[in-house]
Amino acid sequence: MNTKSSHDLIRPILAATLILLLLPHPAFAQQLAELNLPDAPQPQQSTAAPPPASAPAAPPAAPAQSLSLSDLGFSSAQQQSDAARQALLDKRSHMLKIHQRLGLLTTIPMAATLLSSAAAPCEHNCNGNSAGMDFHAALGTVTVGMYAATAYFAIRAPEVPGDKPRGAIRIHRYLAPVHMTGMVLTPILGAMAFNQQNNGQKVTGIASAHGAVATTTFVAYAASIVAVSWPIHYKFWEKSN
Amino acid sequence: MKRLALLLPLIALPCLAQNTQQWVLDSSTLTYHVTHAVHEAEGTTHSALGKGVCTAGQCDFLVAAQVKSFDSGDSNRDLHMLQIVRGAQFPIVSVRLRLPQSALGQPTLDADMDVTFAGQTAHYSHIALQQVVQNNEHRISGTLPTTLTDFKIDPPSFLAMPLHNEMPVRFELYWHPAN
Repeated sequence: MNTKSSHDLIRPILAATLILLLLPHPAFAQQLAELNLPDAPQPQQSTAAPPPASAPAAPPAAPAQSLSLSDLGFSSAQQQSDAARQALLDKRSHMLKIHQRLGLLTTIPMAATLLSSAAAPCEHNCNGNSAGMDFHAALGTVTVGMYAATAYFAIRAPEVPGDKPRGAIRIHRYLAPVHMTGMVLTPILGAMAFNQQNNGQKVTGIASAHGAVATTTFVAYAASIVAVSWPIHYKFWEKSN
Repeated sequence: MKRLALLLPLIALPCLAQNTQQWVLDSSTLTYHVTHAVHEAEGTTHSALGKGVCTAGQCDFLVAAQVKSFDSGDSNRDLHMLQIVRGAQFPIVSVRLRLPQSALGQPTLDADMDVTFAGQTAHYSHIALQQVVQNNEHRISGTLPTTLTDFKIDPPSFLAMPLHNEMPVRFELYWHPAN
């Protein structure tokens, strides 16, 4: 009687043990569910929809057996798509691309203005042949106009919140007040010098600094371009081989 | 017999638990490299997060980083990169790889990887990884041969010349098994 009853007790325990061995333990299953093992890699390129701004922390659409970004510790805020920020970045990049192109193009009339300055001064007064001076003034006007347009796109480009300037862009920004001041002063000093010459006077005083200010402006402007282009790795030695 | 039957579940549970092994990413360095005709740049992040799970002889790893965490040393370039790769829209770059558990002690590994970046997922087969095991730490390094076209990224241009399509990503990952 006792033997039979103990056998009756042992059988279900053995059966339960076998089930335990064959099936994952609930705690283990829960651990697996929490870990979300991934599917096999997809052997193709696929497009993902941006995570919605109001998405919950854990992406429920992911397969149950897949490690998720939440498992790694990324918060929902870190995973969220930010359409407004993307639009801001798009606008900023668009405006700065125009700034870059206009800025590079501005170097052409700026350099030409400097070169044409050799023919600008009048010998005695400018009531006679003033072609050299006119050409120089025209180039200078074009330069100022293009420079103003270039500056507009840099100033009006939206700032990205939380961005702290690092690297070469800081030099580019530090040089801006230098060449901007120069671009304002140079035509004013040029007009003063022209008036003094036109009145038969020798160019004196602050007007005599026109050339030096113009040269300083050009150097500062060129340096600000180089600053954001550096380091340039032009492997000319490879081209010659 | 009765005692044995009662002890059996206690013996069985640890055996089951040993079938799963987890891995934790201690530290990492991920560096992308882009080349232009007159310019080269690199951006690095050390803030990737990662986890690995081994079950039934297969190990699955997930490593991810915020796109904005890549630092090239120039904030203007980083913001431009963020715009080009739609980093605000798709803020996380992630890499999934699968390895046989038996290979985890090997000095070289052959892995298939899925990279999700800029809203696209690209698959890379047979990526050679180097592994150095010291004490309990596994240093896994390699280079992913990613390209801009893999992720449908329009190459930005400078001086009217576009960036080269190749954008290899070097990585060094330091893992340890979780107990």
